[in-house]
Amino acid sequence: MRSRDGAAGKGGRVCETNRMTRRSLIRRGLGALIGAPLAGRLGAETPGAPHVPRPRPGSRPVRDDRIVLGVSAAFSGPSRALGTELYRGSMAYFNQVNENGGVNGRRIEMKLLDDGYQPDPCVANTIELMQDESVFLLFNYVGTPTVTRALPVLKKFRDQQVYLFFPFTGAEPQREPPYGEFAFNLRASYRQETAGLVNNFLGIGRRRVAVFYQNDAYGRSGWAGVREALAAHGETMAGEATYTRGTQFGASMRRAVEILQARSPDAVICIGAYQACAAFARDAEVLGLHIPVANVSFVGSENLLGLMRDNHSDPDSHTRWLVNSQVVPSYEDTSLPAVREYHELMERHAPPPPAAEQVDRIAEGEPYETVSRSFVSLEGFVNAKMITEIIGRMGDNPTRAGIEEAVFQVRNYNLGVGERVRFGPGRRQGLQRVYYTVPEGDRFVPLADWEERFGVA
Amino acid sequence: MRPGADARADALTVRKLFRKTRFGFFALFALVVLAISILSIRAVSRELRDEYVSNSRSIAKNIADSSVDILLNRNLATLQSLIDQFVEIQSIRYIYITSDTGEFLAHTFIPGIPDQILASDLSATEPVERSIAGMGDFVEVGSPILSGVAGTVRVGMDLELLGLKIQRAVGQQLYLLCIILVVGVLASIWLVNLASKPLADLLDYAARLARSRAGDAPPDEAILVRDDEVGDMARLIKYAATPPDDSRERAGSGG
Repeated sequence: MRSRDGAAGKGGRVCETNRMTRRSLIRRGLGALIGAPLAGRLGAETPGAPHVPRPRPGSRPVRDDRIVLGVSAAFSGPSRALGTELYRGSMAYFNQVNENGGVNGRRIEMKLLDDGYQPDPCVANTIELMQDESVFLLFNYVGTPTVTRALPVLKKFRDQQVYLFFPFTGAEPQREPPYGEFAFNLRASYRQETAGLVNNFLGIGRRRVAVFYQNDAYGRSGWAGVREALAAHGETMAGEATYTRGTQFGASMRRAVEILQARSPDAVICIGAYQACAAFARDAEVLGLHIPVANVSFVGSENLLGLMRDNHSDPDSHTRWLVNSQVVPSYEDTSLPAVREYHELMERHAPPPPAAEQVDRIAEGEPYETVSRSFVSLEGFVNAKMITEIIGRMGDNPTRAGIEEAVFQVRNYNLGVGERVRFGPGRRQGLQRVYYTVPEGDRFVPLADWEERFGVA
Repeated sequence: MRPGADARADALTVRKLFRKTRFGFFALFALVVLAISILSIRAVSRELRDEYVSNSRSIAKNIADSSVDILLNRNLATLQSLIDQFVEIQSIRYIYITSDTGEFLAHTFIPGIPDQILASDLSATEPVERSIAGMGDFVEVGSPILSGVAGTVRVGMDLELLGLKIQRAVGQQLYLLCIILVVGVLASIWLVNLASKPLADLLDYAARLARSRAGDAPPDEAILVRDDEVGDMARLIKYAATPPDDSRERAGSGG
């Protein structure tokens, strides 16, 4: 339970990935020595002296040699792989930027707080980050139930102009009124992912689409996407089953499988996290539900595949019906400059998970084993690349008030992922493309032909 | 039989006279406790149930009022997030929101919507009791959203939990009543014993007086100085037991 200033913060899950340098301390000290007499001369504290207006919240420029990004994410619990891999991908890029002198002379640091993928800690973390003047913006939040609950906090502190950048969720609340104006998204939405999956299933004659989902805001967001996409084709959902957030791989999903089996679906779209979705796919296979089982990007494909393949005598056949949608291209597609850079920097920096002194986890569990490359860490990498570009566009004196304008300047930016990034008023989501992947051995590869792989015989 | 033993037996015989009185006391107390318990159970369960339904209505109305903009914005993730917060309240076991056409827009059921609910009349908002297989018994209340044109919110409150609350409330009252019953019975026994002791002394005196005529020691005559009915009876017994030639003595004793 520590915070940087020594105060016991909520949960104290505080760290800053890079410590303040000696040079910045000297600079701060000199600034204080020079600034104090000047402030006295201006008579800011003297009765009768001319009024010196205080800077508007958010208009104050960043003073020292660092930019702090506030992060609340899952670093513990059943979804810790998502927060950890997203962090690792971002750190690979930020380490490189910082080694090269930072952005306009400022290092990029992350202040990490663990929410365990639970809404209440996320709200508390967000309040803590909003009240920390050193935090320039919020970044890399993980999950819909967490982000959905944190959005009202952003609205409450709207005068501070702290924006949420690139949350790891495709849900609608941060894309639509009344909270859309407080967030910027990079990835495609769940609505786009589920629409793509539905369209492809219907295209190969699999018309009875059912949904297995996490019974919270995230699951409902995906459920709504499937429902909407089916309605566009005049279809309705064949069936639905739910599970509780935080369910582990060891849990039985037989009842959920049986509920769906009774509705004779042609395909199931899962809106969940990797542990529960892997358990569902496992039990579906065991109970003979041999139909495509699709997952959206949030699932954490590599972690899901790892769970399903471990200790299984025939892992290829066991995972044969999986198909996952992604919001970044395949990390094997080295024809893309961003993917090549990702490979290079992940190898060079090999970012470890946040250390104990960097983030005080809500719950301790088994040590996390990192994945060398993954869609999640690639997304973290791409997020870091984009935010660095935006901060760079703000020049030598970046202010929170100037963030929105800087984002809107990104109109046709080549991020190196095969799709140009466009932001603007009314367009707060930079990328639109959805990719489809299937397991091949121990990794997911692009799906070339839906008919060949999942066509109805 | 020894004289002392006879006297104790006689004393016991006297106490038997009050057996019915003691039983009467006990029965009366038990009747009072039973009557109060029944009234209390009925009153507590009715009040708690009314409060339960009232709370459910308030919660359902609260969700319904908060849901209008969310529903009109088609923001079902936020709607789910809203009901997820309410379902954390201990007594609420499920919440579901249906559209005006009866489509389920958000709910808290795991692993699926129960068949009983799927088959129920989704237009009614009056409180209904449901018994859902695998889940338990519930009282369900509904509240229309935008007078029903945007949908309906329904909240299921756990009747098992209500039963536990009633048991706890009634149990506390019964505990108190049982203590009163035990104290009352013990007090009645003590009072009956108190009332029967002079009679036992009188019986003992009469028995000893009779045996003194056969040569035993005369009884202690302390009882003759009592100024109550027992004293009168003792003096009368002594008078009756004195032979006729001792009439002067009889008259003196009786004076």
